[in-house]
Order: sequence, then structure tokens, then C-alpha cells
Amino acid sequence: MAEFDLPPIVYFDHAATSWPKPDTVLDAMQRAVLYAGGNPGRGAHRLAVAASRTILEARGAVAGLLGVSEPRDLVFTAGCTEALNVAIKGLLKPGDRVVVSSMEHNAVARPLNLLAAAGVIVDIVRADEHGHVDADIVERAVAECETRAVICQHASNVTGVIQPIGDFADIAHEAGAVLVVDGAQATGHMRIDLSVLGADVYASSGHKGLLGPQGVGILYLSPDIDPDELVQGGSGGSSEEPLQPRSRPDRYEAGTSNTPGIAGLGASARYLSIHGDELRALEGELTARLHEGFLGIPGLRVLGPILGEERVPVVSVVHERVDGDRIAFELDRRYGIAVRAGLHCAPWAHETIGTLDSGAVRFGIGYGLTADDVDRALAAMREICA
Amino acid sequence: MSKDAERPYIVFGFQSTHDALSAEAALATARVGLVVMPTPKVLGALCGIALRVAEADAPAAEQVLAEAGIASSGSARILDR
Repeated sequence: MAEFDLPPIVYFDHAATSWPKPDTVLDAMQRAVLYAGGNPGRGAHRLAVAASRTILEARGAVAGLLGVSEPRDLVFTAGCTEALNVAIKGLLKPGDRVVVSSMEHNAVARPLNLLAAAGVIVDIVRADEHGHVDADIVERAVAECETRAVICQHASNVTGVIQPIGDFADIAHEAGAVLVVDGAQATGHMRIDLSVLGADVYASSGHKGLLGPQGVGILYLSPDIDPDELVQGGSGGSSEEPLQPRSRPDRYEAGTSNTPGIAGLGASARYLSIHGDELRALEGELTARLHEGFLGIPGLRVLGPILGEERVPVVSVVHERVDGDRIAFELDRRYGIAVRAGLHCAPWAHETIGTLDSGAVRFGIGYGLTADDVDRALAAMREICA
Repeated sequence: MSKDAERPYIVFGFQSTHDALSAEAALATARVGLVVMPTPKVLGALCGIALRVAEADAPAAEQVLAEAGIASSGSARILDR
């Protein structure tokens, strides 16, 4: 593996995408290109079979990390957005009703807005000012009339709040509905066991907390559900059949897969299976350190859960006088610190917590950051907000 | 090529590459010798991959697949060199 000098950046944008990646991820991707460069599932020559084995092993590694007992139920997608689109558009038909939280990302909101125009009934359950979605309110909404699906994030990309997914699963199932979960901000940052969580659908990015490369995501589908596939095409086998094969995972993976990306995700899943607990403990410490430090900066308001309450490693702030875009620009230009300002593709969430007009500055914590980095960010913020 | 060199094999087909390679892994773990090959026409499909085992090993292979919960989409006897 070639050695590269990384740019001198203090990277606090892990909620957008993690950076850097563990060396094992880069190594696996390079190996896939060099030694498994055939088309997976297409042909029986050794390079094609090597590609197929790479994907099989990666699927097993991700399934093992997330507690998926049958790897066939874990589909590789181009990302969490595609995974959510498959679930939402594959499950909901005109006339169906869906109960969804007001904290959702546009990866959920925009498909639902489109479906609403086509006759799907979308009822939004409002979260509180910190982003918490109350299970009792969800239960009442589901009880109002027949519901096909409940959709909720596992954790917020704006406030870091963690939602009570187990409660939502019980509520949905008692009403005969399915639970669709957007796990983009949870996987990797939380220990997740899908064999007990209760989600019928769980979608996530591969490139955020899972530490894989961009361009790959995952979609878990319970064996009990049968969403339509969004894309039809080559699957490598059953070519004589006029329609997409129904067997998983082929049904949902038409076209040539992103073998290098999947190889990288498999490697990151194996990395997290070994080092995940250690990394999560560090993320928790750094998140609390940053949050506590922010509380001492005059005029700065921390969004989301109060200090000490459980959250994923996302801390977003708003200053009473200095605009968020100004803060992000100064952090990058003067201090080499990467954050993200704005609405974070989540206007519903910002409207819910009262920051639709101001946006917020989001610090996402993850792999590679240290306590010194947090202290450097706090010192920079004190100067910028002085 | 002498006809004496032809040996009988059993070739197993599968619904998906995932199933075929899961079967490959299970058979390898059980130390059943196999070769990955293109799905032969005799199995009714013209693409995908299949697993070839010696005819004498076929019963053991079937048992391994059954224990692993992997369904073969069909099998056939072929003569190969």
C-alpha cells in the first residue's frame, strides 16, 4: 500500500462522512481492484469469482457486525439514500398511510413528499425542541387509523439525539405496520444488534460511522417483508427470466456492484468488530468534552440533548451573534478545522428545533480525533465567538 | 483424448452467486473437493456459476448443503476430462 501524507486538517465532519479511514479499508479496496477486478456474479473465471467472494465475505462481515443472522437479507446499495428510497417506494402504495418523525433527513422527507403527491398519506409526528420523538405520541398517531409504516431515524444528524427504536417497533408491529429506520448516524457510533432491535427495514451509509468508503450503503430487509425493487437489470444469473429474480440479495442489486467499495466496507466492518467498543468509548468522551467546553462560551447554544444525556457523537451549536457560515469559514481558513454549517439536508429537523432560519454549525466526532483536537476546536471557537 | 480419461462428476446449480459461493465455503470447510465452473446448459441455465464435485463425493456434498441450509437449484451428472 502506498504511503500518502494526509492534509493537515482537524476533521470534525464525521456526521457527513468519516475521514480518514483505517488503513485496512484502503488496503482492501486496493486488493479488490488488483486481485478481484472481475465482474462479481458474472462469469466463472477466477477474477470474477474472486470479486464474488470479496462481496460474499464483506456481506458476512457487515451482517456479523450488525447482528443480521441471514446475510442474504443485507443488500448493498449506493448509499443510505438509495436504501431508504428502495424501502419507502418499494413498500408504500397510493392510499397507504405512513407515520414519520419530524426529525427526518431529506433522504426520507423528499421521497415521502413525492409519494404524498401520488396519494400516500404522510402524517408527521413532531419531536420536541431537542429532537426527541415521544413514543406515546407515535402510538397515538398510529392508532388514529390504519398505518402501513412507521419511519424514524435511529439518531439525528442535527442534534445527535437517539430515538427509542425498540418502542417504535412494538408500536408499529402491534398495529400491523412495519418499522423503517434510517440508521445513517447510528451505525458504527452505536452498538447495533438488528436481531433484537425490531426494525423491519434498517438503512445506513457505509461511509459515516461504519468507516467504509463513499458510494456504498446497506439495506437490511426483514424476511417478513417484500418491497418491490426499484431497479431491474442484470443479476448475473437467471438471465433467461424476463423479470428480476426474487431471490435475495440479487433482487435488489441489479447491475454491477461497487466491488472496491464493498471490499472497503467489509474491511471497516471487521475493524469495528474488533475496535468498535474502544472507538465508541473515545467518541463518547470527546463528545462530552466538546459539549462541556461549548457551554462555557458566551452566546453559544448547544442543540439537542443536555450534557450527560446519551447521544451519538454529533454536537451542533448556534451563536447569538456570529452566523454559522461565518464560524465554519473561519474554522476552515484560520484553523484548519472542518465542520459543516447550514441545514444539513434536514429542514424538517431544523424547523422542529427552531433553527430553520439560522441553521447550525455541526461538529461530528469520530475515528482519528483526539482530546487535543477537541481542545483546539474549543480554543478556535472561543476566539471566533469573542 | 481417450475415453478412459473421462470421469463422472456431479455439478450443482444455484439460484444466485451468493448461494453458490456460500455453498463453496461450506463444502471447503467440510473438505469436499470442488471446482467452480460456469453453469452447464444441462442445468437449464446459461449463466451463473456452478460447483462440480466428484461423483463419489456427491452424497457428502448434498449432506453439507442440507446442513448449511443452502438449496441447490438442481444437479446433473456430467463427464469431463
